[in-house]
Amino acid sequence: MTRSIAACAGAVASLALAASLFVGCSDGASQPPTAASQVAPHAPQPVIEGVPDPSVQAPVLAQRVRDGTLPPLAERLPRAPRVVDLPAEGKTPGRYGGTLRMLMGNPRDIGQIPVYAYARLIGYDTRLELVPDLALAIDVVDGRIFTIRLRPGHRWSDGHPFTAEDFRYFWVDMVKDPVLGREAVPHEMMVDGELPSFEVLDTHTVRYTWKAPNPTFLPALAAPAPLMIYRPAHYLKQFHARYANAAALTATVNAEKLHDWSALHTRRQRQRRPENPDLPTLDPWRNTSAPPTQRYVFERNPYYHRVDSLGRQLPYIDRIVMEIAADEVIPAKTGAGESDLQARYIRFDNYTFLKRAEADNGMRTLLWLAARGSQVALFPNLNANDPVWREVLRDVRVRRALSLAIDRNEINQAACFGLAEPSADTVLPQSPLFREAYRRAWSAHDPDQAQRLLDAAGLQRRDADGIRLLPDGRRAEITIESAGESTEETDVLELVSDHWAKVGLKVHLRTSQRTLFRRRAAAGETLVSSFYGLNNALPAASMSPQELAPTSGAQLQWPKWGEYHESMAKAGQPIDLPEAARQLALYREWLSADSDTRRAGIWAQMLEHYTDQVFSIGTVNGTRQPVVVSRRLRNVPDEGLYAWEPTANFGVYRPDTFYFIDAP
Amino acid sequence: MGGGLAAYVVQRVLYMIPTLLLISVLVFTLIELPPGDYFETYVAEMLASGEKVDPRKIEFLRKEYGFDLAPPERYFKWLGGMLVGDFGYSFEHELPVSAVIGDRLWFTIAVTFATIVFTWLVAFPIGIYSATHQYSWGDHGLSLVGLLGLATPNFLFALVLMYLANRWFGISIGGLYDPRFADAPMSWQKFVSILEHIWIPVIVIGTAGTAGMMRRLRANLLDELRKPYVVTARAKGMPETRALLKYPLRMSLNFFIADIGAILPNVISGAEIVAIVMSLQTTGPVLIAALASQDMYLAGSFLMLLAVLTVIGVLISDLALAVLDPRIRLAGGVSR
Repeated sequence: MTRSIAACAGAVASLALAASLFVGCSDGASQPPTAASQVAPHAPQPVIEGVPDPSVQAPVLAQRVRDGTLPPLAERLPRAPRVVDLPAEGKTPGRYGGTLRMLMGNPRDIGQIPVYAYARLIGYDTRLELVPDLALAIDVVDGRIFTIRLRPGHRWSDGHPFTAEDFRYFWVDMVKDPVLGREAVPHEMMVDGELPSFEVLDTHTVRYTWKAPNPTFLPALAAPAPLMIYRPAHYLKQFHARYANAAALTATVNAEKLHDWSALHTRRQRQRRPENPDLPTLDPWRNTSAPPTQRYVFERNPYYHRVDSLGRQLPYIDRIVMEIAADEVIPAKTGAGESDLQARYIRFDNYTFLKRAEADNGMRTLLWLAARGSQVALFPNLNANDPVWREVLRDVRVRRALSLAIDRNEINQAACFGLAEPSADTVLPQSPLFREAYRRAWSAHDPDQAQRLLDAAGLQRRDADGIRLLPDGRRAEITIESAGESTEETDVLELVSDHWAKVGLKVHLRTSQRTLFRRRAAAGETLVSSFYGLNNALPAASMSPQELAPTSGAQLQWPKWGEYHESMAKAGQPIDLPEAARQLALYREWLSADSDTRRAGIWAQMLEHYTDQVFSIGTVNGTRQPVVVSRRLRNVPDEGLYAWEPTANFGVYRPDTFYFIDAP
Repeated sequence: MGGGLAAYVVQRVLYMIPTLLLISVLVFTLIELPPGDYFETYVAEMLASGEKVDPRKIEFLRKEYGFDLAPPERYFKWLGGMLVGDFGYSFEHELPVSAVIGDRLWFTIAVTFATIVFTWLVAFPIGIYSATHQYSWGDHGLSLVGLLGLATPNFLFALVLMYLANRWFGISIGGLYDPRFADAPMSWQKFVSILEHIWIPVIVIGTAGTAGMMRRLRANLLDELRKPYVVTARAKGMPETRALLKYPLRMSLNFFIADIGAILPNVISGAEIVAIVMSLQTTGPVLIAALASQDMYLAGSFLMLLAVLTVIGVLISDLALAVLDPRIRLAGGVSR
């Protein structure tokens, strides 16, 4: 089976057809041609006439071209730039200029900018389909041979060409290097413990070949924290022992008090946390400030590869200024009009304050959909140390009873102003994989049925206070542990403990601290933990269903089974519950499935089984994330999805197309 | 007396060495005590925001930063580094500790000195007034104001003042200067911006300290005012102001000098909670964040710095007391 993700990931085209489309593209090289017509089916033909005039680039760059400090636009753009079809996304062509101000709570949040910028080899669009972005095309054969073709003429932010050499450097000089390889080996590229073979086909084409299908490869390239399989080789060679002058390298290593060159190399090449102003990038904006600072300034990348439907180079906005403030004052500062685009550190309970501040500060407060499986979910720990409780929680009747006992409507009204949807912990209706049955599974409020199920599960005896007794005669006192990070979560847990008390369980709440909370759950000391539900509640069939199976030691319902899988049987415990083993078997099947139809089928089975087994107990989902946007800022959609995965926070909405209406 | 004092100073300085060593062991142990380490905190934080972390990468980082060594080994590495001025590496900031503290030190010193001056300017006149006019309406009224300052939670007061300053004067919320000056070198505009912002933390932190100082000055002064030498001075016709300022006030200032020991560490740590609420660019928030995320070298070196300053501060105030107040004798080399 041959698949090409050149035009539209959903479409299945033959390799030959895709190849011929792109030969046509790269041949008409004198003017910036476009691949736009292949990117979206109904895109109008972009209007580009003759040699680009200065109006197709930002005035600040046009000035630098006139000054002779920057080559003309035609030499800076790839021969086939990525054309963004603005009308198709409901956007309008913008004006150049302006500074976008944002607030962040922590110097580490500098890593949010590459997430918002969302320049990926291949990335999701707003319909959550995979579309080539930095890459011109990615051809997939049998789900295991990936041929990545780059855009000829594409350049790094310092003007150096972006070519197959940058991929070769990552593969040969980092992954396969005996020193750097200790850190650089990406687990997304391991299939059955083996790395792919790598070939450079020509200056602009590379190929990765696995022995078996690797369906996680493309989603990993498109992830908010992506798998990065290229590095700016021309820049990094000066820090690599194989290429650099040994004496100079040692001098730098010593000057920075590092223990060897690999630490220096690692520090200089960090793309996800772009603190190094000298590091070339392919993002729309590049960092210009060296830490420590309270204010990071990102300037536009003159070599950025995307243009709008009129052939004008993106981004529209010249500069991003990211100020670090205490996260506690960020809602207040946002309310005072000190940010132009803010969702991070804004919580739903800030909404009324922000709405009232709108009139004074020229902002709009939008409510986007928070894309999580459940705002607060409860995870019965199937690996609990207490043998009696472990058996009780492994009884599906108990988990179903715990879910049925919860009055989700009350939670919705009390904690979410009635704006959320009562639901099991599952995907949202906006996902193509959604089915009403998943949401409804054991999520109605039915205390009577819950009582019957608990009775049947061997918890029918009660003490004088009406508290149920465990099979060994202890009172059924259950502790829900949480990391205690939001008052909203605490409110929900208070309600849940009331609901569970009504079916004869005594509930204690215990809030600890993030690290401690994780540690106790992983060690099996926790009976029930509280956290948010599915991380990616907007999956498509091509995205990994690993959250639904015991695959990670961080999963709160089966940490030890997850660790067993993750460590390849070196730690944790093997799965000894057939229902959980089934999820893992299905996940393995998904990994080797050869088509999206097949993958969708497996997703359906996993979701159906997961919700029916109530491996996690959902409360409400479809909650809202306030997004504060300056009234001057355009092309920010009124309705959107706000999630880390798969939308990369603002990433899929392409902040490079946002612009200020009053820009000069 | 001079020789005695010199010997005393040498002895005190020598005593500081074992004291500081003991403190360093204590600091290191305390920081090691909570379960987990920075990397675990980091993983938990990543998970909370939805990111996945490869456990193998974390294992690698742990080795890279020497966390696979036994605690005593790490302790001696840390101690050895500090002796040559290397305070270690901050994982959170990915920078050497000295670079993280850097500029913040100066802002902390500025805020603290402004606060001290503010406290003195308010507390002194009120303290003297309320001592000389004991139980008058003025005494009660001013004490009430001072106590209100002490009783109002600082963070609340800070929030209210910030909000009002923003509504009335359009001053940006939080911070010690307008964000646009963040990377600018010091200039007249930046200085003005700092002045616009600094008064809020100064008032908030200052009011809390004012009440204590006011009451102590009042109490000490009242003690002195009733002593026979004051009565004698008055009887001999010394003017009221001079009879007050020349001896009783000076006598009642001992506590002031003793306080210097406490001021020095405060200068560096600042008022942490207020600084966090107001998002000040001082060192306090860094220390708290470092403790919370178990960024151990940053937190440890910071606490050591505080310990050194406390020890030096106590030494200075002891010496100053010995010099200034002849009634304090150096009994057998043991102070006071």
